[in-house]
Amino acid sequence: MKSFKRWGFDPFGLLGMVLLIGLWFALVPLVPRSALPTPWGVATTAVQKFFYNKTFAFYGLADVGYFSALVYTVQNVLMATIGGGIVGILAGLVTARSKLVRAVCDPIVLTLGTVPILIASPFLLLWLGTDRMSAVAMVGFYAAVTLYTYAQRAAINLNPVYESAARTYGASRGAMLRDLLLPGTLPEILGGVRIALAGAWGLEAIAELLGAQRGIGKLIESITGASDVESLFAALILLGITAVLFDVVVAFGFARLTRWRGGRGSLTNPR
Amino acid sequence: MTKIPTPALEFADVSRHYLRRDGLGIRALTDLTINIAEGEFVCIVGPSGCGKSTLLQICAGLDQPTSGVVKAQGALVTAPGPDRGVVFQKDSVFPWMTVINNVEYGLKCRGVPSTERRRVARLYLERVGLADVAGAWPNELSGGMLKRVAIASVFANGSPVLLLDEPFGALDYVTKHKIHDVLLDLWDDGGSTVRRTVLFVTHDVDEALTLADRILVMRAGEIVDDLRVDSTRPRTEENLSEPAVIATKRRLLAHLGLAHGEARMLVREAGR
Repeated sequence: MKSFKRWGFDPFGLLGMVLLIGLWFALVPLVPRSALPTPWGVATTAVQKFFYNKTFAFYGLADVGYFSALVYTVQNVLMATIGGGIVGILAGLVTARSKLVRAVCDPIVLTLGTVPILIASPFLLLWLGTDRMSAVAMVGFYAAVTLYTYAQRAAINLNPVYESAARTYGASRGAMLRDLLLPGTLPEILGGVRIALAGAWGLEAIAELLGAQRGIGKLIESITGASDVESLFAALILLGITAVLFDVVVAFGFARLTRWRGGRGSLTNPR
Repeated sequence: MTKIPTPALEFADVSRHYLRRDGLGIRALTDLTINIAEGEFVCIVGPSGCGKSTLLQICAGLDQPTSGVVKAQGALVTAPGPDRGVVFQKDSVFPWMTVINNVEYGLKCRGVPSTERRRVARLYLERVGLADVAGAWPNELSGGMLKRVAIASVFANGSPVLLLDEPFGALDYVTKHKIHDVLLDLWDDGGSTVRRTVLFVTHDVDEALTLADRILVMRAGEIVDDLRVDSTRPRTEENLSEPAVIATKRRLLAHLGLAHGEARMLVREAGR
């Protein structure tokens, strides 16, 4: 159980999933089929339409199966989270070093971060068009804002005794960044990466719904128009499963990167 | 003509004033002038807030004096540097580096080749009794072991001057005494003629008497007494019961407001 938790995986989450599916089965006889398909029907649809489905081709979609739509969405999410993450983390670490820079940047970044995606989307579609860059920019922006906050907070909270110690050892600025700031802030930043990644799936789907030509969001938009409720449920569940799988892999990787933490110790400044 | 050796540490008219947010000035140090000879083990004793740690921070180059100068081995102190190793009150061992990587980190910063720095790190880990945990993560160690890692790190870095800021304050009685032995053993270096100079801040009178050649007493930012500890090394419980040491202890306690009668009078006379 302990090792599961170390990877960020809680077996009780699995129990929750089982209960949810049980509830679904229980509700099926009570709700019209047009509103709630059976779990079995959704599972069959997901398998049958995973690689190719002629109805999707008939809708004129570039993605003729869930798989290619998911691959497109996954690529966008990863590009946006990695790109936006790098920008956000670097900006957060830099601004943490100067109160003045922080005072100037924080209000701008945090205000922009509160703009709802439905408001931001038309501008990005106008500026960047309806190809993947628009969706990547939108998701990347929110990832950058999230990680800016996490990285900045991690750097501010890092116990200053580590910096003092490094200076007395004669560490250069580059060495302090490499050996102190990055590893010392890593646990908090990686926590932020998981939050940003979890949010990125939803944002990417919305961005695709609003104006993309491909991806799982575009597929959902087309299926909704055709009132194909089984295919719609299958698309949503496949997106959810993909997000959970990525989270498990990422949590495992991050646990390896921060294995020095074990279960004890704190890096934060107790001030 | 005999050449007077350069002191390892010189403080000349060093003052440090702070301005609080409410505009009130705080005088942490006032016109301190001290010379510490090479190889001396000097303890600074005083009540909380008397300026002990400020003095050490200025010596480490982590803080700057408002006026006056500090020199380490004749060179003006303006910034931290590997010539003055510091063991901090809080744990400063990097938790994301293994024990051996921590010990060799100072050498790495100075560009020492990896094989050489690993050899030195192993040597000092052996000397502080932590050779078998070289590959462990710091959070697997106890508080006492972490202090030993910190001590091994500054000694391994070869700093001729060592500054220790109440490093053992949080340790239990037994662990503290064991670490005193480790520290003194490293400092003595098997009776070496080239001992490192140590400036050790503490509020523990017995600790100062066990470790120091000389004890400086601070109060309200000033040095109010400068005492020699006349006892042989290594100091056992018996040594600490010698009349001369007991007299020094009484005097220290009186400075800290913990003694009455004769000792207090001695302190009053010293102040005249």
